[in-house]
Amino acid sequence: MKPTRLLLLLCLIGPVFAIEAPDVDCLVINLKYVSCTWNKKETPKVNYTFYSSFFNKEKKSCPQYLTENNMNIGCIQPCESGDRFLTFNTMLVHGNDSFKETHGLKNRVKLNPPTNLTVLNGSDFNLWFYWNHTSPARLHCVESEVRFRTNNNKWEFSKVSAGIQKYCINSPSGSSRYELQVRNRIDEGCGSSDFWSDWSEPVFWGSNNSTDSDSVPGWMTFLYVVGAITLMLLVVMLLQRERLKIILIPAVPKPSPILHDIEDWFQLSRGLKENFKASYNEQVCPVREYNYISQSDSMNSTSSVSTDQTDCSVSIDVNDPEDLYVPLSSSSSQVPSEEVQQVSD
Amino acid sequence: MKLIVFCLFTVYCCSLVKASPLERKKLQEVLRELKMLKRDLPNTELMMNTPPKDIEDCCCLTALTCFRETLLEHFGISGKYQKKLYKSLNHTLTINGLNFCNTETSTNNCSTCHSHPKEKASEFFNRLESLVQRGISRI
Repeated sequence: MKPTRLLLLLCLIGPVFAIEAPDVDCLVINLKYVSCTWNKKETPKVNYTFYSSFFNKEKKSCPQYLTENNMNIGCIQPCESGDRFLTFNTMLVHGNDSFKETHGLKNRVKLNPPTNLTVLNGSDFNLWFYWNHTSPARLHCVESEVRFRTNNNKWEFSKVSAGIQKYCINSPSGSSRYELQVRNRIDEGCGSSDFWSDWSEPVFWGSNNSTDSDSVPGWMTFLYVVGAITLMLLVVMLLQRERLKIILIPAVPKPSPILHDIEDWFQLSRGLKENFKASYNEQVCPVREYNYISQSDSMNSTSSVSTDQTDCSVSIDVNDPEDLYVPLSSSSSQVPSEEVQQVSD
Repeated sequence: MKLIVFCLFTVYCCSLVKASPLERKKLQEVLRELKMLKRDLPNTELMMNTPPKDIEDCCCLTALTCFRETLLEHFGISGKYQKKLYKSLNHTLTINGLNFCNTETSTNNCSTCHSHPKEKASEFFNRLESLVQRGISRI
């Protein structure tokens, strides 16, 4: 009975002291090495020795461990670009315990971010961006994704097909600031990777002064303030000075049914009114009209016809019957409209 | 005479350069046809002799033959995509594109088709897809 009970006790408490199998997680980095870690659940309590191999290849011990608090938590194992299509075997050993796992790495690839991201202003006035990738993958196996933004606004995303390592922004605005980043991964045709690379270092193009489209330069703000103050002063002056008000905003005449002097309608200023009145005086020059005298009467005498003009000096001698008719003529000076015409018989 | 030899050599080199893109395009065509066939076929539980996940470089052509003949045996060539895929898998460019054997190693060590364990149709197509993607990534 005692050995049975002892055995039962060991079976019950055994699992408590047994080491839990670590979960190994492997990722192919840039198609150059495999990075495996076993601290996903918790930091391992013991230091494991790591071995790995691809199908039909030699088993290798870990050349470079990843450590945390002096405990091995992972391993970096170099590989070739085509190895990801083969089964990857891992083994963690501690004392008499060993934990084996198999991994399919075809889709578990993470490339390094693209490099040498440059921007050029093309002859077609478009903005062209170019980049490279550092992995040994063929160009037609790498697809990219671009994100860019204008003046620190929201990001815009765009996919770039495999085999192409350039991107174009049409007719960029000269007053805007552009920022662009790119990332890549293995294309579907070559066994697509589940993970995108990290974003590349950003590249900028455009004016630095227009980093924020909502901000207004300081001198513009000053001008706005000065303009507003000037406008307010003008309004105040307009209200205070009646004369200015009349000049700038003349009153509209109010038509009335009672006819007044038409001159009053225009409400001309006194000065303007007086300007219309003649300021010169002119002496009246009376003009006499002489009637026709028959020739028999006038043959013996020479009649002289003259106008009696007080200030006038015009005299007309008539010797010719044709000259008998003395037209009514006014003096050369202007006469007022209310002239009195004196006609003598 | 020397000039003729030089010209012939240039033409030969150019033909080699051009071959790679043609083989790659053919393999990409195979992938498209495989995708269409997978979409067309119902979720079948059919079991078929399937080459392994891990195929040695010098056994890839043997595996290709196994995939082609198994496809013919189980699905025939009556369907539109079955016929296209079968023809593409039999094409010279496909064979050249999946020939990874650079050594004089005999292919006698490669397993025969009927010796492979049977797998579901979905696994069959996935392994064929992996083989073709492996070829495209190498060209």
